[in-house]
Amino acid sequence: MSTRPEYAVEVKDVAKTFGRLRALDGISLRIRRGEVYGLLGPNGSGKTTLIRCLVGLVQPNAGTVTVLGRRIPDLGVLARVGYMTQAAALYPDLSVEENLRFFAAINGAEANVDEALKFVELSDRRKSIVATLSGGMRTRASMACALIHHPDLLLLDEPTVGVDPQLRVQLWDRFQAMAAEGITIVVSSHVMDEADRCQRLGLIRFGKLLAEGSPQELRRMARVDRLEDAFLKLSATSAAGSGEGRP
Amino acid sequence: MSARRVRAITVRILAQFRHDRRTLALLFVAPIVILGLLDFLLRGSGSHPAVGIVNLDQGGIGGNVATRLESSSLVSASPMDATAADRGLREGSLAGYVVFAADFSTRAVSEHVLAPQVHLEGSQPGPGQQVVAAVDQAVVAAISSLTAAGAPRLTPQVSYLYGGPGLDSLDYLGAALIGLVVFFLVFVITSVAFLRERSQGTLERLMASPLRRAEIVVGYMIGFTVLALLQSAEVLLFSLYVLKLHNAGSVPLIFLVVVLMAIVAVNLGIFLSMFARTEFQAVQFIPLVVAPQLLLSGILVPVSSEPGWLQVVSNVLPLTYAVDGLRDVMLKGADLSWSVLQRDTLVVLGYCVVVIVLAGLTLRRRVA
Repeated sequence: MSTRPEYAVEVKDVAKTFGRLRALDGISLRIRRGEVYGLLGPNGSGKTTLIRCLVGLVQPNAGTVTVLGRRIPDLGVLARVGYMTQAAALYPDLSVEENLRFFAAINGAEANVDEALKFVELSDRRKSIVATLSGGMRTRASMACALIHHPDLLLLDEPTVGVDPQLRVQLWDRFQAMAAEGITIVVSSHVMDEADRCQRLGLIRFGKLLAEGSPQELRRMARVDRLEDAFLKLSATSAAGSGEGRP
Repeated sequence: MSARRVRAITVRILAQFRHDRRTLALLFVAPIVILGLLDFLLRGSGSHPAVGIVNLDQGGIGGNVATRLESSSLVSASPMDATAADRGLREGSLAGYVVFAADFSTRAVSEHVLAPQVHLEGSQPGPGQQVVAAVDQAVVAAISSLTAAGAPRLTPQVSYLYGGPGLDSLDYLGAALIGLVVFFLVFVITSVAFLRERSQGTLERLMASPLRRAEIVVGYMIGFTVLALLQSAEVLLFSLYVLKLHNAGSVPLIFLVVVLMAIVAVNLGIFLSMFARTEFQAVQFIPLVVAPQLLLSGILVPVSSEPGWLQVVSNVLPLTYAVDGLRDVMLKGADLSWSVLQRDTLVVLGYCVVVIVLAGLTLRRRVA
């Protein structure tokens, strides 16, 4: 594959139902390379399902997902994707270093352990058992596991839930540093102040993309000053416009 | 399939066990405790059933039988009067008592009838049978000593194709229990470990990595099989050299059967953990999987003595074949040239393949 596609992620008319629940309802969006893209939406809006579609954990009922130029599902492309789940998915009975070594080994990136530890500032806690770490440290360790193999695309599912403001700022500085190096970052959130740090935002509700654009564009669209108001206003008008009939 | 990724999973599983002292203790101490306790229960030189002898015989034959009974190795018999014996039976201090009536010798001479009256406590079959057997032996020995030379004597010549007079119930049970203990512990630990992988979210992470399903299953299998190998080796050494279980066959062959059974247990654990949402639910699979095999695989009661329809069930359980194979090797000295052992090993091997495939197939379906 010599041609570098312009978009890191292309989602086209993707729908997914779980029983009677329509988690994704014909969603389409495109994320450019090197972009920090925020998926914004309330709980249960379909953010996590969409992210899981991107790594092939969820098979859509309809539509196509293309990641880094490859149609998903594609096992090979996963080596270039980093995925950080909502909860810090680590082995609690292993040390930080053992966790990192494991995720490095399955990605063929054993050489990067020290560097990843340094990146999340856990070098001095490398021997600590994960179960004994604080929540913030666990989040950092989980992040280190997600980017140990230098992915081209980093998917972060609500990475800052339960993280104190100081660490949140630190994490976001890191995300932006990585984006500056050309890594595409997709981050889901329902926290508006961090949405402001994304280059582009996709507003998701009821499995649909309601609006898309930079934080400034969204504010302008809704004619409000705060992003939070923009979100509320845009989802209200969209729901009224499409005659959303949810019980 | 990449050997590097399989190795990563195996190494991780072993590291997790290194940190988890309690599970290690379960794996390596529990079998010793179980088998050790059985040794005490089945071979314990503890108590023989207590038997009272009430000798009212006016002739000498009652006394002759009584002396032999007192020196019996099956029971511990002591003379007493009828009231004490009856009280002892009711209070539970005696398993039974024997009365030689006043006309015991007279009837023996005139009617050729030896009729000791045996009173048993009766609520426990085991000691009762032992008392009757001891009385039988004493009477037979007494007759032989009384009959004149030239009269027929009872001296059966017993020869053994396998085993021998020294073979006891622990030899018989132990051979099967080696298989059961390894199967049970490995099954429990794998199903809980794999369930934890899912509940803590790491399985999702694995499925979003370049790992293939087969690599996960094989990595798990090797990791747990390494542990099962160590455990099997420990159980075998303990059984053969501490408990001195009868073994007529080759140790590597026993090891082979046990290891195949451990592989079945690992993959059955992975497979079934897909159907449990919590560790509590996973524990509920234990009676479901272990109880039928404990009862029906011929460990306690030979499969051939089950009613026909139940034998059908027994014949689909993998442990039935492992138990049969282990007994053939240890008690009969079977080797792989025996067609029965070939059948047992092939069936267990077949089960390995089936559960490995099942574990692999269910893995993706249940992860989301």
